[in-house]
Amino acid sequence: MGITDIMGIETIEILIIAMFFIGFYGVITTTNIVKSIVFIIILETAVIMFFLSIGYHVGILPPIGGEPDIYNMADPLPQALMITAVVIGLTGTAVNIIVFITLFRKHGTANWEVAARKNKEEFADE
Amino acid sequence: MTQVFLLISIVSAILVIIERRIARIIIYLAVYSLAVAICYMLLGAPDVAMAEAVASIFITIFFIVCFEKYFSFADEQLGESLRKIPVLPLLFSVGLFAVFLYFRPTGEVNTYLKDLYLLNFIDNVGGENPVTAIYLIYRVYDTLFEALVVVISVVAAIHLSAHNLETGKTETLREVQDNGLAVYAIQIICPLLLLFGIYLVLNGHLSPGGGFQGGLAIASFFICRYMIYNINDLSIHKLARMEEIIFVAITLFAVSVVFLGGVFLLLPEHLLAPFRIGYMLVMNILIALKVACGFIILFYRYIVVENDEV
Repeated sequence: MGITDIMGIETIEILIIAMFFIGFYGVITTTNIVKSIVFIIILETAVIMFFLSIGYHVGILPPIGGEPDIYNMADPLPQALMITAVVIGLTGTAVNIIVFITLFRKHGTANWEVAARKNKEEFADE
Repeated sequence: MTQVFLLISIVSAILVIIERRIARIIIYLAVYSLAVAICYMLLGAPDVAMAEAVASIFITIFFIVCFEKYFSFADEQLGESLRKIPVLPLLFSVGLFAVFLYFRPTGEVNTYLKDLYLLNFIDNVGGENPVTAIYLIYRVYDTLFEALVVVISVVAAIHLSAHNLETGKTETLREVQDNGLAVYAIQIICPLLLLFGIYLVLNGHLSPGGGFQGGLAIASFFICRYMIYNINDLSIHKLARMEEIIFVAITLFAVSVVFLGGVFLLLPEHLLAPFRIGYMLVMNILIALKVACGFIILFYRYIVVENDEV
């Protein structure tokens, strides 16, 4: 495996998939709600980057300009879709934080297990 | 080059896993977002890089505004889960990683749509930015539903933060205002932000940027204004009403242009180009106004949750 292999698209894909599963591991193991929000952000960026890396090769150009260089330019379609994904991810994070604050006000905890236990107790009281 | 920044972002993601203090997690998240934005840039996507850069500013600000009151409590509950590494989830993640690596798509990428868009967007749409052409013309319905998602999340945030149970002011913003260097820096950046936002909106069809990115930059101007001068003279209800009206206007405008656009095809080619440019300009301005309204409301809602004012 030479240096050109390491610098190619293969390595980028492997790193992006690794990043996705780091976020996945974080989401399924953490007991803290704030950390969960952070790991969901990491998952989203990994997915977005996987889409953007489709058709990547060394020396790729951004798709801008009146005289398109078809072979060297990046694919504009995933980019247009991923812009909306970024904005939607941002609004999702904002709502996540608001939901966390509401939960914290109610139960005074940032721990999933404690919050679930208190929710259960509340239902049992009713 | 891309691999280096990907490694930086992976290292910061692993640091988030093993870190026990929320303040440091927020800093690692900021580093992660910067590395990711640079990766987008190197993958040939300046538009997405710009959106990610502005979005990460917002995520950091949201976290910091909430930090003082809520997240410092979260620290104490972080430690217990970290004493032993959970083996089963680790094996599960590594196994899934291996499966994905083995079955990931390989071979030639189908470039039919890419060639179609890149070869035809100048004749069909005009301008010099194919990304803007796609999200405003070829796939305008995606953009409409994206705008709808922003409206829904703003409504959700207003609804969820409607009942203010506690009182008391947070000290975070006071600390920013007492910090002379930060005040001067933000005072210098503030007007440039507004100018930059307007530039992004008006040049969306020619250069990287456009409605989303420009709208976010314009909203961050109002956030800086609040943090430095403590001005929040904008009424949330008027902004929310304005956002809904602009959303309806975007929908009507885009749908009517898509359906009635055939009329313009009767015009000769040299008369047609200004109409297409005008369509993209108007759509970018409307989207920017809508996104700016939405995120100003979201930010002010955090202030309300924090301070019980407005």
